[in-house]
Amino acid sequence: MKNLFCLFLSILLFSCNSKEKKSIAQNADSTQPEEIHTDLYGSWVGDFTILERDTTRAESEMYTNKINIVIKKITASEVLGQSVVAGNSRLLKGKMTADGNTVHFILDEPGNDKNDGVFDFEIKNDTLLVGTWTANNTKKEVRKRKFELHKKAFKYDASVMLPEEGMYIDYQNPKEEQITESESDNPEDVKEEETYMTTVYRAASESIFTINSSTQKLKESDVKNLKKLDLEILRNTIFARHGLTFKTKTVRQFFDDVEWYIPVSDDVNNELTTIEKENIVLLKRFEKYAEDNYDSFGR
Amino acid sequence: MIKITWQYIPFHNDIAFLQIKQTEVEKIPFYIPVFYTHVYSAIFVLLAGFFQLNTTLLNSFPLIHRNIGKFYVFTVLFLSAPSGLFIGLFANGGFYSKISFVTLSILWFYFTLKGFTAIKNKNITKHKAFMLRSFALTFSAVTLRFWKVILVYLFHPAPMDLYQIIAWLGWIPNVLIVEYYLYNQLKK
Repeated sequence: MKNLFCLFLSILLFSCNSKEKKSIAQNADSTQPEEIHTDLYGSWVGDFTILERDTTRAESEMYTNKINIVIKKITASEVLGQSVVAGNSRLLKGKMTADGNTVHFILDEPGNDKNDGVFDFEIKNDTLLVGTWTANNTKKEVRKRKFELHKKAFKYDASVMLPEEGMYIDYQNPKEEQITESESDNPEDVKEEETYMTTVYRAASESIFTINSSTQKLKESDVKNLKKLDLEILRNTIFARHGLTFKTKTVRQFFDDVEWYIPVSDDVNNELTTIEKENIVLLKRFEKYAEDNYDSFGR
Repeated sequence: MIKITWQYIPFHNDIAFLQIKQTEVEKIPFYIPVFYTHVYSAIFVLLAGFFQLNTTLLNSFPLIHRNIGKFYVFTVLFLSAPSGLFIGLFANGGFYSKISFVTLSILWFYFTLKGFTAIKNKNITKHKAFMLRSFALTFSAVTLRFWKVILVYLFHPAPMDLYQIIAWLGWIPNVLIVEYYLYNQLKK
């Protein structure tokens, strides 16, 4: 309304002398353009899935990552937003066109990062955001990803825990182990031993469901009997609660499927509470100890 | 072992093993000085012990054997064993590993003292027997860590469950092996 009034006023003054016209034109420039579709503002969250992959080389990128596309501002001439995925938080800038109940967006990431690209998506009936992303770099392993996102509001909640039905096995860091098995059941037979390699994965313990690293001040005795993976998960759950987007696949594999987890930022250090900061220091110290000493000769 | 000791030089309150012992470091008076007494003295006990097993040294340079021996006995009785007892009281792994480490330090003291009094009484057989027992316990510093690597490789236990096991596995088999050896010597 205010803008319309300004417009009306300027038209009115337009008919007056040229001096006045000039000053009003300056006024109109400095006023913000009208924001539209504000009901679409906010976080749109979901899976960011591979559509086109260079199959000639080894797979290094995850098949899906959790993405959050934040729409911050829409005007007739410009759209501003943010894409938060896989440890990267990138500014989005572009345009939109509306057609009935469907709003179509084309948004660019800044282009100064090797992982930048272009988002092209539609929002249907204000509820579902569907589209694709194309990498600027045509030589990238994954050149195209698709996504179907739903609107979700992020709110920090210290009490949320990892769901117990989840699988907390570190598939990203397999370890090869040698297994020797005796073939025959009869000990009098010639000993036939078979040696083969098997892949072992680290699995987390129950402790990750019982210890809340954001609300309870952890003592050494609470974490002493935990393995390194437990310690890592407990520490990263703090960051997940604050909506940190994780750079490493090892961490993403545990949190991307969690319902309450929404990546919102690539730096949450200023958001941490005192308890969380202290727990992070303690957990980090035990992780370092576990790394240096657990399966080596030192104590 | 020297490498393990080396990580405690220069002196720090929060490195290596002490990374997970900060509660004791802060709450127990004298934990740090006693801990460092143990670390710095025990490495020399271990090294000294190896020389004493060498019969050539004993036969050709008995004086050196005696001097190293005195050093070994003095260090164990006054430094390593008492400090071992103290830090054993706060050992990782709870009650079961505490009993183990406390027993270990008391036996270590006892065997070493017996070995020393035996040679003062010129009883060489007894001296040899008790000093072998003493060194079996000294050597548990090595075997304890050796078992740890094996058990982690085979079973991936949780760290403190592991600690309860190696607390005992580190020295009991050593003593049994020495007793078996002494038993066989006796039969000859």
